[in-house]
Amino acid sequence: MKGHFRRIFMAGWTNFKRNSYLSFGTTGVMVLVLMLFSGLMVVNFLSSTIVGSLEDKVDISVYFKNEASEVEIGEVKGQLENLNSVVRVEYVSQGQALSDFKERHAGDALIQESLAELGDNPLQASLNIKADDSSEYPAIVEFLEANKFRSLVDKINFYENEQVIKRVQSISSGMRNWGFLATVILSVVAVLVTFNTIRLTIYNQRQEIEIMRLVGGSNSHIKAPYLVEGGMYGILAGIITLFVFYPVVYFVSPKVESLIPGVSLIGYFVSNGFQYIFLVVFVGVLLGVASSFIAIRRFLKI
Amino acid sequence: MIELKDICAIYEDEKEVLNNVSLHIKDGEFVSIIGPSGAGKSTLLRLMTREILPYQGQVVIDDVNIVDLPSNAVPLLRRKIGTIYQDFKLLSNKTAFENVAFAMEVCGIDEHEINGDVPKVLDIVGLSNKMNSFPHQMSGGEKQRLAIARALIHRPRIILADEPTGNLDMVNSYDVVKLLTKINELGTTVILATHNREVVNGIGKRVISMEKGKIIRDQIVNGKYVL
Repeated sequence: MKGHFRRIFMAGWTNFKRNSYLSFGTTGVMVLVLMLFSGLMVVNFLSSTIVGSLEDKVDISVYFKNEASEVEIGEVKGQLENLNSVVRVEYVSQGQALSDFKERHAGDALIQESLAELGDNPLQASLNIKADDSSEYPAIVEFLEANKFRSLVDKINFYENEQVIKRVQSISSGMRNWGFLATVILSVVAVLVTFNTIRLTIYNQRQEIEIMRLVGGSNSHIKAPYLVEGGMYGILAGIITLFVFYPVVYFVSPKVESLIPGVSLIGYFVSNGFQYIFLVVFVGVLLGVASSFIAIRRFLKI
Repeated sequence: MIELKDICAIYEDEKEVLNNVSLHIKDGEFVSIIGPSGAGKSTLLRLMTREILPYQGQVVIDDVNIVDLPSNAVPLLRRKIGTIYQDFKLLSNKTAFENVAFAMEVCGIDEHEINGDVPKVLDIVGLSNKMNSFPHQMSGGEKQRLAIARALIHRPRIILADEPTGNLDMVNSYDVVKLLTKINELGTTVILATHNREVVNGIGKRVISMEKGKIIRDQIVNGKYVL
């Protein structure tokens, strides 16, 4: 059995070496395809980062009337925290709101003076609510509206922010949907290009396959070395892609970071390096083997 | 024993190439099948390797009607038959050694036996000095001798030779026929399809003449090229 596998592997390797021009051309096309896959991964990473940061900025605040006690607000906070759609609820007391406000406007003498003149704290206690998805906010607001402590609530800023939230939602879902669609279309194109290239490579060897059939080669005997060869195209193409991709990302990363602060492309692809390398080589081998498998079938009917 | 019973065969263009052909070949016979181009000689041989199927009749080899053979058993049939073609049908990206070895590999023979047998058979056909040459580095005669070596390697009981001298000069043709005769003397059934008059007359064995898909003459002993 071991000898059988060795023979298949060696036959595949010999084919790969002796058809060097074809192997070079096929590997080149697969490198382009894998680069396209890598490019899609970069685009997906950037779009999901942008969408994530946009969504992260969206929250709603519930402002309580001054007569609401901390215990009552705490009870509302507890109820909100029990909702599955709520990720975080932050209580900002009147005092905290005032000191935050003062800190934010520390450089504005007019505001500072106005506050001093007022003497009283004009700000309200509030709860900042963060949902796991911006589409959950209407349901959260509905929950608050129906709450027994509704009378203690002065204002929910969702109504002012509703249009902004909807806009963010539509941008996020648009980016997700179009990104997904583009990924699917480009992946299909990539698979078809690879398949066609390998099909041409095998078509070029159709006479050899016919001869193998005529001297008594079974389908599996004939097929196996071609599958090995297809896998080799994938491995080599994967390795070349990695050698091209990482230096490119290394040079592009600072430019991306200057456009989208806080986003490190190289950091992402280094910290997820093992998964990325595995994915590229795995996709390469899968494409090579599957394309060879499909392409060779039609030549095995002699 | 090979027996063809009432064979009718057509090609894809629906032109009839064999019309009610019946034939009986005993073990160890040397049979030359002659006829002009399009007479049906090659088709007859292709039926025996099940490259094509007749639409009527039976092809019986060793008491098995190969027309009914399941497709996964066809490679096993082909391993029992050695085939030699006018265009050699060699694997161009394999060396002479690898071409012959491939026919053994598909039978699942181990490497040790392959390494022992292939040089011997290449020596028999006079190609021991061409072991590592590729087909494109060999002459027509050498290629045909290589094809014979490949056909012989698994000691088949039947050799089918379809115009093996078609691309060769007289000297090389003579060498090839001499090899086939020697193989036949060792007990292998040889069926040779040709339209080479000198070759057939030189062999002096059974000769079957074909024309327009029919057998028109069967000279059992000391046959000559007569159409």
